[in-house]
Amino acid sequence: MECKCVYWLEEIGQEHNNLVGKKCANLGELTKAGFRVPPGFSLSVDAYARFMNESGAKADVMKYLRSFSADPHSLDDTLKFQKASEDIRGIVESKQMPADMETTVREHYSTLCGRCCCEDAPVAARSAGPVSHPGQYETYLNVKGADEVVRNIVRVWASTFNTRSIIARARLSLPVEYDPIGVAVLAMVDAKAAGVMFSLNPVNGDESKVSIEGNWGLGEAVVSGSINPDRFLVDKVMLQIEERTISRKDMEFAYNEITGEMEYRELPEELKTAPCLEDKEVLELARIAKKVEAYFKCPQDSEWVISRSLPFPDNTFLVQTRPESVWAKKEKVSVLGQKTGMQMLIEKATTPTKLDFG
Amino acid sequence: MAQATRFPYPEEIVIPKELEGWEEMYPSVRLFQKEREPWDKLHFWFQDKIHASEPLYPLDDIFQEAWQIALSQYTTRVFTIPPAQGVAQRILGCYMYITPVEAPPPEVIQAKVETFTKRVPWVIENFDKLLWGLWIEKFKKLGEELKALNVPTELPMCVPDTEIFPQTLGYTDAYRLIEAWNTAISLIFKSWQLHFEYLNITYLSYVMFLDVARKLFPGIKDSTLGTMLAGAQADMFRPDEELCKLARSAHARPAVADILKSDAPAETKIMNLRQFDSGLAWLEELEKAKDPWFYVSCGGGWFHHEGSWITQMDVPFAYLKSYIERLEKGETIERAYDAISAERERIVGEYRALIKTDEDRKSFDDAYKTIRTIYRFAEDHIFWVEHWMHTIWFGKVRAFGTLLKKRGVIDDVEDIFLFNKFEVPELIQDVATAWALGEGVPTRGEHWKAIAQKRKRILEAAGKWVPAPAIGNPPTEVAEPFIISLWGVQTDTVAQWLSGAGLKAEEVTELKGFASSTGIAEGPARVLMLASDIPTLKEGEIMIVPSTSPSWAPVFTKVKAAVTDIGGIASHAAIVCREYNLPAVTGTMNATSVIKTGDTVRVDGTSGKVTILKRA
Repeated sequence: MECKCVYWLEEIGQEHNNLVGKKCANLGELTKAGFRVPPGFSLSVDAYARFMNESGAKADVMKYLRSFSADPHSLDDTLKFQKASEDIRGIVESKQMPADMETTVREHYSTLCGRCCCEDAPVAARSAGPVSHPGQYETYLNVKGADEVVRNIVRVWASTFNTRSIIARARLSLPVEYDPIGVAVLAMVDAKAAGVMFSLNPVNGDESKVSIEGNWGLGEAVVSGSINPDRFLVDKVMLQIEERTISRKDMEFAYNEITGEMEYRELPEELKTAPCLEDKEVLELARIAKKVEAYFKCPQDSEWVISRSLPFPDNTFLVQTRPESVWAKKEKVSVLGQKTGMQMLIEKATTPTKLDFG
Repeated sequence: MAQATRFPYPEEIVIPKELEGWEEMYPSVRLFQKEREPWDKLHFWFQDKIHASEPLYPLDDIFQEAWQIALSQYTTRVFTIPPAQGVAQRILGCYMYITPVEAPPPEVIQAKVETFTKRVPWVIENFDKLLWGLWIEKFKKLGEELKALNVPTELPMCVPDTEIFPQTLGYTDAYRLIEAWNTAISLIFKSWQLHFEYLNITYLSYVMFLDVARKLFPGIKDSTLGTMLAGAQADMFRPDEELCKLARSAHARPAVADILKSDAPAETKIMNLRQFDSGLAWLEELEKAKDPWFYVSCGGGWFHHEGSWITQMDVPFAYLKSYIERLEKGETIERAYDAISAERERIVGEYRALIKTDEDRKSFDDAYKTIRTIYRFAEDHIFWVEHWMHTIWFGKVRAFGTLLKKRGVIDDVEDIFLFNKFEVPELIQDVATAWALGEGVPTRGEHWKAIAQKRKRILEAAGKWVPAPAIGNPPTEVAEPFIISLWGVQTDTVAQWLSGAGLKAEEVTELKGFASSTGIAEGPARVLMLASDIPTLKEGEIMIVPSTSPSWAPVFTKVKAAVTDIGGIASHAAIVCREYNLPAVTGTMNATSVIKTGDTVRVDGTSGKVTILKRA
């Protein structure tokens, strides 16, 4: 079965959700729109299908599942699913990518290294599900070298069989052996600081603000919610920083050169209480959030990274964006109550202001 | 030490003995009096630093008396703002305190709603196309009348023949003096009646708009709201615009520019300019600009001693010198009106687009239209009343002063301001009577002069005394729209006063005020108390002043930021700073006593904070 399995981000856009998964499609769209996104490529959903079919992974998994039974609705059977997940992931990870696909991947990686001016550029391999798709799959960071890239792509595919996802599919009576996803292979930014931002105030839904949260090191620390981040509230219209909460940040998520692993490690004392972003970086991020919202025509939930090795403003990257989902669902209500200017004037004239001295 | 929950009552305030006799300077109704004590004690009085930041000269008090009536009547009797009533005044130790009168009974409030609803929307609808034009016409007529008032500045030995032939006049200067004084008082009083004609409605609209914006965007900054109203082609900015035009005209004529750049008194420069053609041409342009624009006061227009450009030509000439020098450096001297307007459009447009429902957007548009229509009254009336009219008034009063001095009842022309509006007629009467009685008839000259001397000493002493910021029990609510947006009295303000004179000036490192004009700037501070010092401000300095005046506009394009003691975000200080894109924090209460010239300060006009980074 022929498929174009590997796409540069520049080649894809919003309309390709089902082709390469939503994350890749969005990153492609952002790249096309001129936002600073780390360079990268994506493997299509069809690549997953090809791999699973041609390597025999799907057949082997189905064989395994025939002798597996457990109740996805029962908490007691969770351990069974856990074991099954380990086994199945083991099966998948042992398989080889189809040869021509692997060649294409290696070629793309080589080009990517050229673009990053770096031999063995570190990349992140991220799962990218299509629109309606349950489960949150793995991301592998700091992958270096073509061999590792190929291996980790397979690992991402294998992560569709993580415990909670197979339970979820089983509950929904979806095929457990098969959950096609895309994979994004993105150059990793040498992160000074990273985090998330909303192009509205997530506390009260105020769309005139941008809310930015960040920590030193990689964004995982903020996204996972395991660290108290610095928080900035910026007025979107005036582009002024209105609120600043600098937290005590004890740890950062970063790459350990020695072990070759990503880890949480303690920050030096002076960085714990220092703001992870300079004011100009906060404002640049806010500008980006404003532009992204304007581009997608709705409030966005984005992830950003500040590179340590590039000058401002080239150092400000967008690594993810999606429509904000909490306030978007809420009904938009009028707060003024359909009043005319005159009615409001009369109302104001008839209502004294309370002074509260507490 | 427990925090005070109230301010002292009048009888608890110790007035320095050097001020003894101060009560005689003002009409008795102006003071705290026993018969009104129960009512007075129910109210919270705070020092009015906007209009009376200095000890009150008896005759200058006429403006205060006039506005007590004018402001109040439009709220209570004309446009009947329902729960609000007037603003009352009292003088204590030569300083003026004010209080909003509490709400009337519910039946009255209800009745007021009816007239309010009938009258106010009509005013707003017709303001632009009818009422503003009529107001300007009415007002200019009033000012011209006062200007044209003939005040005899000397009394003749014998009336001239023109008062006999071809027909006898029937009255003399003795009468003219008395009539002229009565006319002058009527005209200045009437100008204050007109001053407030639409002002209450304007402030109410402003406060309503702030409310609407804050409901739609909780946490929207005051400084942002200010930008939504900036960019007005108001008469208030004309004096500076005329100076810019004159500067450019001079800049194009090197011979003229050279003279204007020199260090010489204005009179000398004018004399030199007369010597050649292009100088004469330029002087003609100057003449055209003088009336009314040079009638702008060097200060706020409240005190007779401030002077105006028309009486102190050295002031506008100093600005011209500075403007020409900046033009030669290639700088732009005009305020960035187009940029400010464009920014306003952008800001309003973007916030508007963020409004979530169409209904709310429509309401917002309506509210914005309301305030934009009538807002120019807030900016314009100040020039016509406090500047143009007051300058004419001071000139006329000095004419009376000239006469009184010539007839030996005062030592100095300026001393007339030491007598209040009820007393001046007595001096005039004294002079007219002595003149009528014939040669060698004495006046009470000695008596008047002694009073003047005593009052001079009292006022000087009062200037050295720091009066209590407020009197009585703090309020729990405020209905009067001016109190909040103009005087800027809010919870924070009162709490700050209550916490009192805790810190010493040197210990203060941060001041809070109103975020009146957006932007942040850092630089050397220059504390200025005298309007005459304003032109000496240097490029990049940060001005620390009690308040601001439109006549200082020419320095606004030179300095980096402004900090004032007084004024809320609708105050004059705030408006002017916004129009000049000058970051400003107003209403800090005590910036001029806490900050010293040479200190390095950081002014955050976006959040309303002033930080003293380094002491001089």
